Amino acid sequence: MAHNGNRSTQVNCKGIEILIVGFENVAFAYEDEPETLNDVNFSLREGEFRFLTGPSGAGKTTLLKLIYLAQRPTEGRMTLFGGDVTTAPRDALPALRRRIGVVFQEFRLLDHLTAFENVALPMKVAGVNQNKYREDVRELLNWVGLGHRLEAKPPTLSGGEKQRVALARALVSKPDLILADEPTGNVDPAMGERIMKLFIELNKLGAAVIVATHDHNLVKTLGKPILKLTAGRLCEEPAGAGV
Amino acid sequence: MPEAGAGGAPLTAVIGAISFLAAIALAGFILISLAAGEWTSELKTALTIQVKGSSAQAIEEDTQEALRILNSTEGVITANAMTSEETARLLEPWLGRGNISDYLSIPAIIEVKATPALRRDLGLLRTRLAAAAPGATVDDHGAWHSRLSAAARSGQALAFAVFLLVMGAACAISVFAARAGLAANHEIVSLLHLVGATDDFIANEVQRRFFILGLRGSMAGLFAALIALGAALLITRTGATESFFLPNVNLTGGVVFWLLVVPIITCLVTAATARMTVLKTLRRQY
Repeated sequence: MAHNGNRSTQVNCKGIEILIVGFENVAFAYEDEPETLNDVNFSLREGEFRFLTGPSGAGKTTLLKLIYLAQRPTEGRMTLFGGDVTTAPRDALPALRRRIGVVFQEFRLLDHLTAFENVALPMKVAGVNQNKYREDVRELLNWVGLGHRLEAKPPTLSGGEKQRVALARALVSKPDLILADEPTGNVDPAMGERIMKLFIELNKLGAAVIVATHDHNLVKTLGKPILKLTAGRLCEEPAGAGV
Repeated sequence: MPEAGAGGAPLTAVIGAISFLAAIALAGFILISLAAGEWTSELKTALTIQVKGSSAQAIEEDTQEALRILNSTEGVITANAMTSEETARLLEPWLGRGNISDYLSIPAIIEVKATPALRRDLGLLRTRLAAAAPGATVDDHGAWHSRLSAAARSGQALAFAVFLLVMGAACAISVFAARAGLAANHEIVSLLHLVGATDDFIANEVQRRFFILGLRGSMAGLFAALIALGAALLITRTGATESFFLPNVNLTGGVVFWLLVVPIITCLVTAATARMTVLKTLRRQY
């Protein structure tokens, strides 16, 4: 799943350990508002999995926004795939964003496009020929149980179906980094379990994964390391530490 | 971008109206050019000899003498004296029909068609006519020609200025529509960025949408303009109005071909303006 090669300056050739995300004393504040994130430090390497937890309003979504480059830190230094993105020119951002698959909490599907077109969007944006991704998109939609709804538009889909389309869209470009904001919030437990198993499979194949969730049982069951946010401050907890 | 995102039907209608005005203005420019060309090309080889005298007999004698000189002058292609009936008809708009007295000495008119070389240098002809037929004067239509040319140039300039102004309006509307489209589709633009779209990709999408809207609207506007122009030219020829002063122009294939420039320019102007606006806005806002 993950792309290989020496595209990072922080590659250990023998261990193939690539720094995917690096936060050094990162702070962030929306305009004219107090800091949402304060002195955040953490790193995520290739093939690592983290749960991101914390109470509502703790800054989980903001942290994810910084990682998927919707916002830039107001203080500190942030690296993505080995490169400093704190002050990177905006022309450099699209290529980095294409290496990140995001499952948004509110899905963010385009209502005027079909399920197929929504899932294919990252490929189209990247200029990939439709012949090359048509089968991948169908396969993904089949896998999430929406093979029969390729031509359905989001307004006609249920919350769970939208979530699955959003998931397929995040994975279609085989990203190096997968970010998911409450990915199991709108699906039934069986589908939630399938989605989490998929994340774990992708993670085993090399993709780094961060899943923001309120689901304590999920965190406990999977036993992965935790990034815990409380009032804008981050602390890391090892696997199995609980929530 | 969704269809409504770029203004949809209202923008198509506005572009249609703009194209209608642009096509009328351009048609005005072309028709004035054709008419002026027709008039001035006639004047370039035409001369009028007016023969005045104290009596009809003196006028007739000078006319015959003038015709003799003209027919023996190199460069004169034809020289025909108008009959008294034809001359009287020319005066009808001012004196009315049948109001010309036999005692009135109406000057004779000789219509001359000359080569451009003779037309350019009339000195010798004037001297010979003055010596042989003192009542004859040569009118080379110089004053009329220069006034007509100046009027035609003014008309052309005005029509072209209107055309440019209307195209400027198309640019302004495209800027507003593109900005409004981006604002209305902020969520979509934001998502496109997040899945890795470059500014160029988004600008291409908007540009394509505006090109299609521009093509649709401008073709409708051109079609309406052709109907309006055809109707206007038809009315001037039916005799419903006094049209003797209007140039004899037609909506030929050539004119229609030039009017096809309007949708092409409109599409390109709207698409290019929208693209530049989008790129500028994206760099500023995202």
